[in-house]
Amino acid sequence: MRIVLIGMNHKTAPVEIRERLQIDCGDGGPALAELLGIPEVREVLVLSTCNRVEVLARVADGEAAVERLKEFIYRQGNLDAAELERCLYVHRDREAVRHLFRVAASLDSLVMGEPQILGQVKEAYRRAVDHRATGVLLNRLVHHALRTAKRVRTETGIAGNAVSVSYAAVELAKKIFGGLHGKTILLIGAGEMSELAARHLLRQGVERILIANRTYARAEEMAEAFQGAPVAFDRLPEVLPEVDIVIASTGAPGYVVTAEMVAAALRRRRNRLLFLIDIAVPRDIDPAAGEIDNVYLYNIDHLQDVVDANRETRLVEAQKAEGIVAEEVAVFEAWFNALAVVPTIVALRGKMEGIVRRELERSAHWLGGLPEEERSRIEGLAASVVNKILHDPIAGLKEESREKDELPYVAAVRRLFKL
Amino acid sequence: MTGITLFKTALAVYFASACIYGASLWGKRVFPARIAAGLMFAALVVHTFSAVARWFPAGETPTIGLHDALSLFAWVMAAAYLTLQLKTKTRVLGAFVSPVICLFMVVASVGLGGAVNAPAMLRGSLVTAHVILSVAGEALFAVASCAGLMYLIQDGLIRRKKAGGMSRLLPPLGDLDRINHLCLLWGVPLLTLGGLAGSLWARIVWGSHWQWDPKQVWTLLAWGCYAFLLHQRLAIGWRGRTAARWSLALFVLLLVLLMAGLPFFGTLHRFV
Repeated sequence: MRIVLIGMNHKTAPVEIRERLQIDCGDGGPALAELLGIPEVREVLVLSTCNRVEVLARVADGEAAVERLKEFIYRQGNLDAAELERCLYVHRDREAVRHLFRVAASLDSLVMGEPQILGQVKEAYRRAVDHRATGVLLNRLVHHALRTAKRVRTETGIAGNAVSVSYAAVELAKKIFGGLHGKTILLIGAGEMSELAARHLLRQGVERILIANRTYARAEEMAEAFQGAPVAFDRLPEVLPEVDIVIASTGAPGYVVTAEMVAAALRRRRNRLLFLIDIAVPRDIDPAAGEIDNVYLYNIDHLQDVVDANRETRLVEAQKAEGIVAEEVAVFEAWFNALAVVPTIVALRGKMEGIVRRELERSAHWLGGLPEEERSRIEGLAASVVNKILHDPIAGLKEESREKDELPYVAAVRRLFKL
Repeated sequence: MTGITLFKTALAVYFASACIYGASLWGKRVFPARIAAGLMFAALVVHTFSAVARWFPAGETPTIGLHDALSLFAWVMAAAYLTLQLKTKTRVLGAFVSPVICLFMVVASVGLGGAVNAPAMLRGSLVTAHVILSVAGEALFAVASCAGLMYLIQDGLIRRKKAGGMSRLLPPLGDLDRINHLCLLWGVPLLTLGGLAGSLWARIVWGSHWQWDPKQVWTLLAWGCYAFLLHQRLAIGWRGRTAARWSLALFVLLLVLLMAGLPFFGTLHRFV
């Protein structure tokens, strides 16, 4: 066994344990140095996010290394070993590779398909490279993981649709208006979800934001935060014709926006499309408004349905993604398995002998004219040159593998000779 | 001869493009639609060359027969759609536009290789202008009606809160509505000019602007309807669903009238 991945994630460990274990994300220097201090550890990478803490290492002696890595984690968490043992998972070789590929492709995330994890993996890798903690194997492994993640993103719809209510609202707005540049939104009432949706919309290029609140002071306060304009609550019918998207989330018991108001607004805005988002319970916008042509009304349940449907789609897409991961693991494994001393020597010899054979064949037209004895002498000469050339590299390779870490040499030979 | 080969090649590539657009709808993926758009552009280029190859040897102002008119119709639709696609995110709209293009190309290929020269009555730059302008205007209305159909589908999906797979694939409503707007805005003046050119020529060869010929009546009806629609759109704000419904309904109505009516009436206004 040469690759070990040890760690815990949101599925195996509660947040109380994960937060105690957060391995210093500052620059990770001390942790990486400590890990590299373990004699069995050759290369190492630490991935620490709010949902997972994982240590990925190339090791010399598998089981001994696993024990040392566990000790390291117990020390970091300052926790009882028995308690931690339940939360920890240990993956070896192929399973470790598969796990890393799944993590990078966001298949192991709390919200499957979320894009941040890819950046976090890159960041963890950059930190490990900065501290010279990676080598031939981890470099290749992480790059392969990133490539797999990209394939998953482009070939499946796993990250395709919104799985949060506020983002679903943004996607709908794009589906209705096309671009959101130059559009105006109106926030009626305050609330975490509506503010989040407004922030998303602003990031998509929405030009102007109007904020209405029963308490005008609160509206002014929010307007400042969003760099928008406050609107008095009783002026709603006047501003409605100016806006393209309305997000309502007041605590009012009745309808704040009536169908008549919407119909009048639509006439004044010459039927330009209007998107109404009602995330208040009880509802703020009269459902009859949604019946009007060119008005699209979504309430919190509709948005939740969109989100649920998207979640289901993601699950289906995740199946495809698992297939891609399996393929890529097999590709990596083929490379990894060839990274041993004996197969490398066999391949190197094979390649050289092949060259000699081909060159002799190419010269057959004049070699054929020579007497049998001379011809076999020339063949012997060629073979002996190859043997002499290969002697030192092969001896060196064997020696290095006996004494210390053979992997960099094997990898270099394979690369130099294109094996 | 080169012209015929090129025309057939263009038809084949349009057809391939339509098939791939269909696959895009079927598989609910945008990627094939991108390839299809590339193919449509290639077909348009070949199509252009085929027209050049047909007209160039004819020397002087060529006259336009049925084949050329239908071929021009397809050409304008493809060119207009590809231009609009540059400005809007409407890749999948091609799935509705390309079959119509194919249909016109197939019908046009019936008259393939026919004489370029026509009777003296139909020769002259005024006739050429009349045909080109009218056909271009009507082709733009065809694009508007394709966009209208897609608008209604997308509108229905969003209204019924089915914002999943299919809705994600179809273009945004705003972009489809803009296509309607642009097509009407360009189509109506083109058809107006085409009609004027035609009536001037009629005055010259028939002695009067108006003959109560079925095709003349039909054209005037079409012109009136679309001018009305454009007016409503600009003045009263018939946008979105209303505009889409009207564009689609008018196009279907005019097509039905043309198909059903023409065989029953003798017409002076025959193509070559």
